[in-house]
Amino acid sequence: MSAVSSSYRVQYDVRPAKQVERRMLVDALQRLAAAGFPVADYQYTGFGAIYFVDFILFHKSLGMSKLVSLEQQTSLTSRMKFNRPFSCVEIKMVPASSEIPNLSRDAHHFVWLDYDGVLQKDFLSDIQSAITVLPAGSILLVTVDVEPPEDYDYRAVDPDFDSSKEVLGPKHWKRYFEYHAPSYLKLGLSDADFGKSELILRSSEILNAAFTKSIVARPELHFLPMFNFAYKDSHSMLTMGGMIAGRAEKRQLRGSNIGETVYYRDDFGSPPFEIKIPRLTRKERVYLDREMPCADGWVPGDFHLDPEDVLHYRDIYRFLPAFAEISL
Amino acid sequence: MKYASAEVRKQFFIDMFTRDISLEDCVLDLIDNSVDAYLLKHETSISELVFGPDGNPAAHELGKIDVTCTERQIKVVDTCGGILRKRAMGEVFCFGHDEDDQVGKLGAYGVGMKRALFKIGNHFHIVSRTPQEGFEVTFKLDEWADRKEWNIPITFIEGAGSEKKAGTSITVTELHDEVALRIKEGGVPKNILEDASTTYPYFLGQCVRLRINDTDVNPEPIKLGELDGVLRAAHEKFVQDRVVVTLAATVAPGQRKAEDAGWYILCNGRVVVHADKTNLTGWSNDLASFQPKYRSFVGIASFESEDPLNLPWTTTKRDLNRESGVFIRARALMATMSKPILTFLNSQYSGDTTVEVADIRDAVGGVKEVSFKDIAAKPTTGFLYSPPKRKEKKTEWVRFQADVSSLDKVRRRLRRPNMGAGDIGKLTLSHYVKTECAE
Repeated sequence: MSAVSSSYRVQYDVRPAKQVERRMLVDALQRLAAAGFPVADYQYTGFGAIYFVDFILFHKSLGMSKLVSLEQQTSLTSRMKFNRPFSCVEIKMVPASSEIPNLSRDAHHFVWLDYDGVLQKDFLSDIQSAITVLPAGSILLVTVDVEPPEDYDYRAVDPDFDSSKEVLGPKHWKRYFEYHAPSYLKLGLSDADFGKSELILRSSEILNAAFTKSIVARPELHFLPMFNFAYKDSHSMLTMGGMIAGRAEKRQLRGSNIGETVYYRDDFGSPPFEIKIPRLTRKERVYLDREMPCADGWVPGDFHLDPEDVLHYRDIYRFLPAFAEISL
Repeated sequence: MKYASAEVRKQFFIDMFTRDISLEDCVLDLIDNSVDAYLLKHETSISELVFGPDGNPAAHELGKIDVTCTERQIKVVDTCGGILRKRAMGEVFCFGHDEDDQVGKLGAYGVGMKRALFKIGNHFHIVSRTPQEGFEVTFKLDEWADRKEWNIPITFIEGAGSEKKAGTSITVTELHDEVALRIKEGGVPKNILEDASTTYPYFLGQCVRLRINDTDVNPEPIKLGELDGVLRAAHEKFVQDRVVVTLAATVAPGQRKAEDAGWYILCNGRVVVHADKTNLTGWSNDLASFQPKYRSFVGIASFESEDPLNLPWTTTKRDLNRESGVFIRARALMATMSKPILTFLNSQYSGDTTVEVADIRDAVGGVKEVSFKDIAAKPTTGFLYSPPKRKEKKTEWVRFQADVSSLDKVRRRLRRPNMGAGDIGKLTLSHYVKTECAE
């Protein structure tokens, strides 16, 4: 039996941390809209898969009605079409690399490259393409898995790798990242720098380098960091992103109140915002909500809760979904 | 205050100056001068040549350029308009352009002709005539190198008397030993001819006619392709640092050789980089490494500017300045445009034999030639492949192995011992449909 009670475990299919992230993005975009960015007119391009959770949220909460979902698994075509939530969602069975060059240069875009795998060269190439073509005012977001690369990932680097003879470790993970992102890694990194707990930092550095490198081709524009989320439902994930901005957008962004939020990150050098979700019962949540936003140091009087969990809850309670079973 | 000497020594200058350029490229530099004279004289726009209307005969008579390349001499004679005395006196023989000089289209740095002469031989004879005036220059490099002065003797002569005869003749004799040796070794005139045909596809036949050792140089056009309603070329355009950049990438028509695939880079219409598949244009870095399966890939990047110094080419006009801001931006776009095309070409070789793969192969095989002008006239777009809509099938193959004994039973029943297996199959299916199917 596990040392941690199942009460503390995540119910994988509902992914609460991911949903908090989505809702924080909605909050951020609402703040941008208030600052004059025409968010409702932005085109959202993402990977809706068969659930379209982000599409539903952005359409309903932000009024976005230009929505494009990309998918390269052609076997999912009929399910994607069947599950399409709104008529304004366009489904394209193409990889991001094929669609990005076709994105309109006359519209603002919100592009979320929400990959479910460990960083690889194709992701970096998509980032470069997106930053090369997206008009000023557009937002680019990239999510990657920051768990160690698995056997099938590593075979791209070494097709002869035999998992029955060797176990993957930092030495292999270093080779993996050197293979996929040779020009994005810092010099002088050792095997120890690719230990499991370091991979989030390495991935963050690579993504940051990709944003920085790509915007160089457009000297009149900047890539302004906005988001840097770390979270874990089942796998540890990292989402980084920001705005492609000229002077006007930079000024407009500074004029917004997004900087007041807990999750906003305008410097990729600082630690990410960690979405940590305390495992609470419904009754506990109702109790806590009555005290939110609480003062520093406040803890509930009627049951014990770690003060750190209280602080985590204070950060995310507005965005945390409440899941319940329904009979259909 | 005392001053240490920091002068340029002529011999060092000559030796260093000529080291990094091939003999063939030196001759192309001399051809550039002739082409440039024509462009200046007729105020021909590069856009008109690259993106101008097809089949529109040149408004002016073609300039003629004749190159002679033997072991004894290299000679370039043109009827492209000649050089003004004023430019000859103050510009043409200087190293580098003066700020006030009349800027040409193909001469960026003001070194090409001099470097070519120094590289090739020791004795130079240059005669140039506009319709109204002319000049003549004869000098020997070794004697000039010994002199302290940085000038050359010039004689004024009469003009050509007519536009048609106006032009320049450059003759280099007393070829340097290594140059004579290379020509003797063979292949140099052929190399020049081939290089010229791929370097000047937008000039040959449109403004000049070029001959190498009495052989006409035919332009080697860069072929782009599209397939109506199925394949659309990628196209991008931007202006930066007063350079207009037009990019197109697509699938080329016809049977392709791997050596023709890649990016072609034009600076003011002149092909500077030919069928590049190196990391200069993103391959093996932002893109996959080139493999024969990508042989149908073709891209053109045209950089055009009124001031050739703004263009990203190097002085040899055979490479690009990777630090150029305009090239960095173009390169990022080139990679972005190329990726979907490589993905598309890759999908031809998918292991399965689905209808989709067959469609992709048909599309690649059916691509029709389309001009750079036609692609550039359309709005900017990414590469697009739209699979053709399939017609509903009316027939389908039925193939299976049947027992010979069963077939013989049918033959006996029908009393047709020679009936073919195919006919038995058709008959039995038809019989089943008639007797068992309601409709």
